Amino acid sequence: MLDSRILLKSLNDLEVRIMLCKSAFEWELLAKKYVDVESNIKDFFKKKKIPENFATALDTLRASLVQKKGELPPVDLSDFFK
Amino acid sequence: MGLIKAVADAVMEKAKHEVKDYLIKFMEEEKEKEEREKEKKTEEIKKEEIPAVMQKESVKIEEFKEEDDEDEEILPLIEPEFIKFTYKVKPQDFTIPGELADIIKMLPVEEFACFIKLMMFVFEQKKNFGYLGNTLRRKIGLESFENEKFDKTVENLEKYGVLKVEQVSDNQKTFILYVPFDEETMVKAEYQKPEKPQQKKVEKKPVKKVDEEEKKSVEKENDQQDDIPGKAVFGMENDDLYKSYRTFVSLEIDKAKMRVGRSNFDKIYMEAVKYIDKKYGFKVLSDSEKFKEYLTNYYISAFDIPTFETWKKTKV
Repeated sequence: MLDSRILLKSLNDLEVRIMLCKSAFEWELLAKKYVDVESNIKDFFKKKKIPENFATALDTLRASLVQKKGELPPVDLSDFFK
Repeated sequence: MGLIKAVADAVMEKAKHEVKDYLIKFMEEEKEKEEREKEKKTEEIKKEEIPAVMQKESVKIEEFKEEDDEDEEILPLIEPEFIKFTYKVKPQDFTIPGELADIIKMLPVEEFACFIKLMMFVFEQKKNFGYLGNTLRRKIGLESFENEKFDKTVENLEKYGVLKVEQVSDNQKTFILYVPFDEETMVKAEYQKPEKPQQKKVEKKPVKKVDEEEKKSVEKENDQQDDIPGKAVFGMENDDLYKSYRTFVSLEIDKAKMRVGRSNFDKIYMEAVKYIDKKYGFKVLSDSEKFKEYLTNYYISAFDIPTFETWKKTKV
C-alpha cells in the first residue's frame, strides 16, 4: 500500500535531483517525473483536499524546475527554423 | 525288419521336422523381405513428397511476394474531398461517424489502428488535421512502429484515400484525415493570420499572483490551443513567404543575441521560461516543440522583431 510518506520522500528526492541537473535532457526526465508524482499525489488523496505540506512541496518543486530550466543554456532554436 | 521300419519311421519323422523348420524359416524370410520392400517404398514416397511440399511452400512464398507487390497497388476505398475543419465545441465523447466507420473497417489492422490513433489525437485538438512531425509517432502512442513502418502505414492510408499528406514547406508536412463534414458541429479551417504577439505588454505588467484554478484553466486551454501566434498555419497561401519570414526571425534573434551579450541573453531566456510557465502552464515547458514556438514568440516581442504581417508589408 502506498504511504503518503513515500510520496513526500519522492518529492524530496526529486528536489535534490533538480539541484544536480545539468542538461536539458535530464531536465525533461525530471519534468516527466514531477508530472507523474503530481498525478500520484492527486490520485492518492482523490477527492480529499491535498494537504498543505504536499501542496507546498509541489509548488516549490515546480518553481525549482522552472528556475532550473531558465538556468540551463538557452534552447537552441536553429533546428526549429530549418 | 521291425527295427529297420522303426529306423525308417524315425528318419522320416526327423525329415518332416526339418522340412517344417525350413518352410517356417523360408516363410519368415519372405515376410521380412516384404516388410523391407514396404519400408523402402514408404521412404521413397516420403522422399518424393518432400519436394512437393517444398514446391508448395515456395509457391506460398511467391504468393506472399505477390501480396507484397499488391500492397503497393492499393486502390482507394474512397476519393473524398479533404476539408480541414475544427469543431465549434469539442464533443464530450470521441465518436466515429457511421459513414466513416463503414469505410475504415475495411482497412488492414495496422492502418486501422494508425487512423484511429491519429483521429483521436487530432480530436483532442478539436480538428481533423495536424503536423506530420518526427514526434507524431510517439505522441499517438505508436512507439512500437519503426519510423519506416509508420511512414509506410501513413502512405498506405493515403492510398486508401482516408488521409491526405500535404507538403507545407521543405521540411514541414501536414496530414488531413477524412472525417465527414458536419456543418452543425464543425467549421472549415481557413487561413488564419498569425496574431500579433501581445506578450511584451503582458510582460511589462506587474506580475500577478495566479490562482491554482486560473493556472489549471490556462493549462486546459493550452492543451486544446493549437493556433499559436507566429506558428506556421497549415494550408497557408503564402508558405514561401512565411518560410522566409522564419529565416528572417532566426537571423534577427541571432543578431539580438550578439547585441545584448551572452549573460543578458541568458537572463532574457530565464524571464522567457518563467513567463511561458506562468502564462501557458508547466506542460508547455516540458513539450519541446511547443516551448520552442512560445519562446520564439517571446523573442519576437522582446527584441522588437517585426511580426509576420508587418514584415510582409515591407516585402510587398
